[in-house]
Amino acid sequence: MNVLVLLAGILFLLMTWIGGKKGVRSFVALFLNFGVIIVTLFFMNVPDINPVVLTLIACVVISCINLFYINEVNRKTKTAFLATIITTVILVLFISVITYKAMIQGFGEEETEEMGMFSFYIGIDFVKIAVSVIIMSTIGAIVDAAMAIASPMREMHYHHPGISRKELFRFGLSIGRDILGTSTNTLFFAFFGGYLALLIWFKDLSYSIGEIVNSKIFSSEMITIFCAAIGVTAVIPVTSWITAYFLVKTKEETK
Amino acid sequence: MNVLKSLLLEHKIFFILLACVFIGSLIFVHHNYSFYNSPIAEVVKTELVDATNVEDQNNNKDVVSNQLLTAVLKNGQDKGKEIHLTNEFSKSKALDNEFKVGNELFVKIEQADTELTGTIQGVKRDKYLVMIAWVFIFVLLLVGRRQGLLSIISLAVNAVILSFALDLYISNSERSLLLICSVSIVLFTVISLLLVNGFNEKTYAAIIATLLGTFSSLLITYLALLVTGEHGLRYEELQFITRPYKTVFMAGLFIGSLGAVMDVAITMSSSIFGLYEKDNTISVKALIQSGMEIGKDIMGTMTNILFFAYVSGSIPTLILYFKNASPFGYTLSINLSLELARALAGGIGIVLTIPIGLYTTIFFVNRKRARL
Repeated sequence: MNVLVLLAGILFLLMTWIGGKKGVRSFVALFLNFGVIIVTLFFMNVPDINPVVLTLIACVVISCINLFYINEVNRKTKTAFLATIITTVILVLFISVITYKAMIQGFGEEETEEMGMFSFYIGIDFVKIAVSVIIMSTIGAIVDAAMAIASPMREMHYHHPGISRKELFRFGLSIGRDILGTSTNTLFFAFFGGYLALLIWFKDLSYSIGEIVNSKIFSSEMITIFCAAIGVTAVIPVTSWITAYFLVKTKEETK
Repeated sequence: MNVLKSLLLEHKIFFILLACVFIGSLIFVHHNYSFYNSPIAEVVKTELVDATNVEDQNNNKDVVSNQLLTAVLKNGQDKGKEIHLTNEFSKSKALDNEFKVGNELFVKIEQADTELTGTIQGVKRDKYLVMIAWVFIFVLLLVGRRQGLLSIISLAVNAVILSFALDLYISNSERSLLLICSVSIVLFTVISLLLVNGFNEKTYAAIIATLLGTFSSLLITYLALLVTGEHGLRYEELQFITRPYKTVFMAGLFIGSLGAVMDVAITMSSSIFGLYEKDNTISVKALIQSGMEIGKDIMGTMTNILFFAYVSGSIPTLILYFKNASPFGYTLSINLSLELARALAGGIGIVLTIPIGLYTTIFFVNRKRARL
């Protein structure tokens, strides 16, 4: 039996057992997200389509799945969705600049040894692909943080309808500060777990610090981690502001 | 009032120190040429020689160009002299780069009769790394204030522990990597959670839940690998391997899911303690019910974080395979099997930690109640 099938089976059972219907939806969402990545990949193979634009569209679809399908369409998820998209767009601009400057696209020398038989002149702009990769790695965490802030803000507004926009915004920020440490931790360990083999490799071949820092692989991994952390941090004020704006605005209208 | 004053002074000192380190590090990375043994040259002139349209055997069209670069050496005995370099780059830039005036390159000098020539060895990237690290620090401090500072400290401490653990493993290969990682996992958990959440029962409950969750998901994944004989895992794609690959993979898998498991554990424990603190008489049954509701809310998005963090990194390789006419199924299985296994095992850890965190916290709540 295939390991992946078995692990997926165990995950499905656990999610159903603990999460019930919502657990099943969470499990299905994983597969839908995988599908989105595969479809995006197909379009990325067409040289005339801009991969960054493609990734932004994919992010919109992924946010819809993670917010509207797993949860439901309501004011809470709508504001989280809007905040995710705005943060992603800001992040894309920032990442594009840094990727272009630091030249971290494509593959490092260390990676290409086993790819000798491949043609690397394939007409796909790898600088844009690098931007897409960083955004895609972060989108899950951004959606999570947006939801984690919008949800208690909605509760707060529900229990204290008289709260001012500024107070609600402050409340969102304080929630955000509480989750900041664990969100950055989640990303940090996820990436370092993935790069463990690379770190051992650097140490085994006794690379000097200068060589490690300037190598394409290491710097692109570090830039990915930093950009991801910047993304989950930036989504905090964005979500707080948007949620406070919409919740208090609608109240004023109904008056 | 006194507290406020001293706090402000502390803040002032902190910001002055921060500004000094910031400016100092920027000056350093822009003038650290003499610290490198290999020669560094800054491009001062570029000239495009030719551009050729190429097409490979799979009909992928690209443009390969050649450029002549004039650069000035920044270190070594030829410091200040001009060096001439040639550079070939493609439009897709998978392996190469187009260089512009101002780029700094590592070069290998090959002496010619009248003028210096050389080959390009790499790009100097350290200043970009330092700059983005500062953006990261400032954004975290600006939004997170105190918690942001604590997060940065906890990340730095964890990075040092990780580096130290790997050194220990490399110098004593006979020691098991899994053992070293288990000890590190305990350290990571205790330090991160204590730093970010402080010394209280919430944190203790989260620490115990994290460790139980991590090790029970380790057990399940290990058993799953054993039962299936690791059928379906394509270790050949695990890159950079100088060590027994299975242990490296397993160790990476657990460090990878640790952060997410911690996140779930602290969310469970702080929300259940929050409920208890609001209403001391709340029944255990009500706590379990609310805890399960919170768990349901977070498990979907948490598993997705790991999924995207792992799978996205394979995108460039997947594109390269597809463009070189590799079969679809083969490409996916060879490039994604390990990433998917990591994401699934991490997901199992996350979901398991929900009931584990719930019952551990209830145990702590009951203990606290008994003491009252």
